[in-house]
Amino acid sequence: VNDRLRRSLVRIGAMAAKETQHVLRDPRTLYMSLGMPVVLLFLFGYGLSFDLDRIPIAVEDRDRTESSRALVDALTASGELEEVARAGAGEAEALFRRGEALAALVVPEGYGRDLSARRAARIQLLVDGADTVVANQVLSKADALVRAEARRLLGPDLSRRPPPVQVQVFTLYNPEGRSALYLVPGLAVYLLAITAVLLTALTIAGEWERGSMEQLFASPVGRLEIVLGKLLPYLVLGILELQLVVAFGAVAFDLPIRGSGPLLFAFGVLFLVGMLGQGLLVSVVAKNQLVATQAGALSALLPSLLLSGMVFPIENMPSVLQALSRIVPARYLVHALRGVLLKGNGLDVLWPDLVALLVFAMAVIAIATARFQRRLA
Amino acid sequence: VSAGLAPSRPSARVQLASVFRKEVFQTVRDRRVMFLLMVAPLVQTVVFGFAVDFDVDRVPTVVVDLDRTAESREHARRLLADRTLAPVGAAAGMAEAERAIDRGDAAAALLLPRGLGADLLAGRPAEVQVVLDGTDPNRAIVAGGAVSRYFGELGERMARERLAARGLPEPARIELVPRLAYNPELRSPPFMVPGIAAMLLVIVTTLTSAMGLAREREMGTLEQVLVTPVRPLLLLVGKMAPFVVIGVVDVMLLVGVGTWLFDIPIRGSPLVLLAATLVYLMTTLGVGLLISTVSANQQQAFLGGFLFAMPAILLSGVMTPIRAMPDWLQLVTRLNPLRYFVEVMRGVLLRGAGLADLWPQLAALVVLGVAILAVATSRFHKRLA
Repeated sequence: VNDRLRRSLVRIGAMAAKETQHVLRDPRTLYMSLGMPVVLLFLFGYGLSFDLDRIPIAVEDRDRTESSRALVDALTASGELEEVARAGAGEAEALFRRGEALAALVVPEGYGRDLSARRAARIQLLVDGADTVVANQVLSKADALVRAEARRLLGPDLSRRPPPVQVQVFTLYNPEGRSALYLVPGLAVYLLAITAVLLTALTIAGEWERGSMEQLFASPVGRLEIVLGKLLPYLVLGILELQLVVAFGAVAFDLPIRGSGPLLFAFGVLFLVGMLGQGLLVSVVAKNQLVATQAGALSALLPSLLLSGMVFPIENMPSVLQALSRIVPARYLVHALRGVLLKGNGLDVLWPDLVALLVFAMAVIAIATARFQRRLA
Repeated sequence: VSAGLAPSRPSARVQLASVFRKEVFQTVRDRRVMFLLMVAPLVQTVVFGFAVDFDVDRVPTVVVDLDRTAESREHARRLLADRTLAPVGAAAGMAEAERAIDRGDAAAALLLPRGLGADLLAGRPAEVQVVLDGTDPNRAIVAGGAVSRYFGELGERMARERLAARGLPEPARIELVPRLAYNPELRSPPFMVPGIAAMLLVIVTTLTSAMGLAREREMGTLEQVLVTPVRPLLLLVGKMAPFVVIGVVDVMLLVGVGTWLFDIPIRGSPLVLLAATLVYLMTTLGVGLLISTVSANQQQAFLGGFLFAMPAILLSGVMTPIRAMPDWLQLVTRLNPLRYFVEVMRGVLLRGAGLADLWPQLAALVVLGVAILAVATSRFHKRLA
């Protein structure tokens, strides 16, 4: 028995060596699994952000008094709101359509008079609501600037008094609120899903398509050995990728590793095994590479991006999608990675994630092998 | 046709029509391909439309009320009645609350110190604490902001009451009256769905055409067809035409679902949208063709398509605003056809923009489309020669 096992391992090793050569020969595969993560991390870390530094606005001062000029100065002095046009609400929409301004401020006539009469002085802000993310920022920035101006108008003695209730805010795990720390674990999961599902689905679907799978079956290599041999290099590639992403995150963005390294590794391997099983299943069902890529993208990439909580919080989704997200393995890995890396959680907190990943991996591999056997019969 | 001479080529129209017919048959016959090209984008749009919501609300919050007075209970109740925070329980002390955050049961903890109620009634300065789970920075900022705003407004109200009680005049007040154009409730789907449509078109057209042509190369069928009287250029046009049809149908489908399911308006001219779609498909199919010429097999074509699609999607403004990128990256986005198509989609659907507003984007798409197609066809010819 021992001898049979040894020989079987040799055959698996041979298959794996052949597949490894395939991977190494096409630099694109390597770039995709090892170069792309670095490029994406770089983009996420340095290029992409939700926060606008300068928001172009149009300003119409119908009051033309000293106080109205002071207000416009106060709102635009910091440059966060930048006056790009002198135009009123009437022309504002034309500016919005051309993307030249994102908001229009109108100071109505009588602003200065109302202020000195101690009546509430109203100013209008018309915001381009088409881009919801930007509109929210415009609203909160304008609100903060107007409050500051109102405080200044209170006069020195009133504005310097401490507010009656002070709120002290402590932020745990990511005190500077850097979005890279939030995005990197999610990005790692996404990239792992791509490597594991799509690359395996493609390579095995390619063998079916070319008919070389049947040739392989005629060889002395067992069927399970073929599959294991083909999947092994991608498991290794996935593990390398996970380490690369975490290491790059740690070096470039000070991503902390507060929990246990081996636990992180265990989560990664378990997730990869499930994803490789899914890739195998996709290839068996799809039979050709074109269908396999689209089916892989639909069943693995989109759920991993949308329903995993990597960018879009699961708590905000309607309950149907929240329920659906429970069968998306990426959800559990995203939660586990954030827990291990940022919070320093251990198994006492994360065991449900481990169980879920284990159940998914076993289920998908059982289904995939069953379909694989039936396909051959 | 004179006898004895080599048979002349059929007219260009006939050549084109026969290639087109064959390609359409081949695509339509494979049900799975049709499903993936038509139904899959639809499913994705629906899921995406419901899943993507940048609004932060119902942040799970534990309250540590050390004061236990009617005052403190009332403030906790009012603060949590606003939908931004949602109570998930009370804790006896801060250590217990932090354990709840550690476990992920809560994302915020509010500490109301002993003596808060008495301090507020006496007008003495008081202090409350908020501890936030910072793993999601956006959520942390919104939750912290909700607490600060509540107590800030409370403070302003108290200060005004105090002035009034002392018979002093009320201080000046400025009221900001915001009005939101196009999307007054700031719902996410009207903003996101046009972007998703642009994204899905890349996956449907670029990836599928690149892989389809790579497959022909792999199987050697491209060379076989070239022996027939069909000219290479017409062969190419015939092969691309079904994708143009699928792309246009997909856009109509997605816009239809968007208006029906997510109440997305169509304020501008559908013709401008159609024109932009056609020019945009020129660019995505051109990239697909280009990728197929540098790929020996389908796996390489897929990887090539993916290497184009990922950065193109990230740098399109679909997810994060282009204005928030550093200047050098904003320059890079000018080469991205996705960026222009997303701008046209959002402009036409939401802002009612027309040709007068969007001609720069359309012109950019035309320039990019012609350039990409020119390079791709010349490479295609070279590969065949």
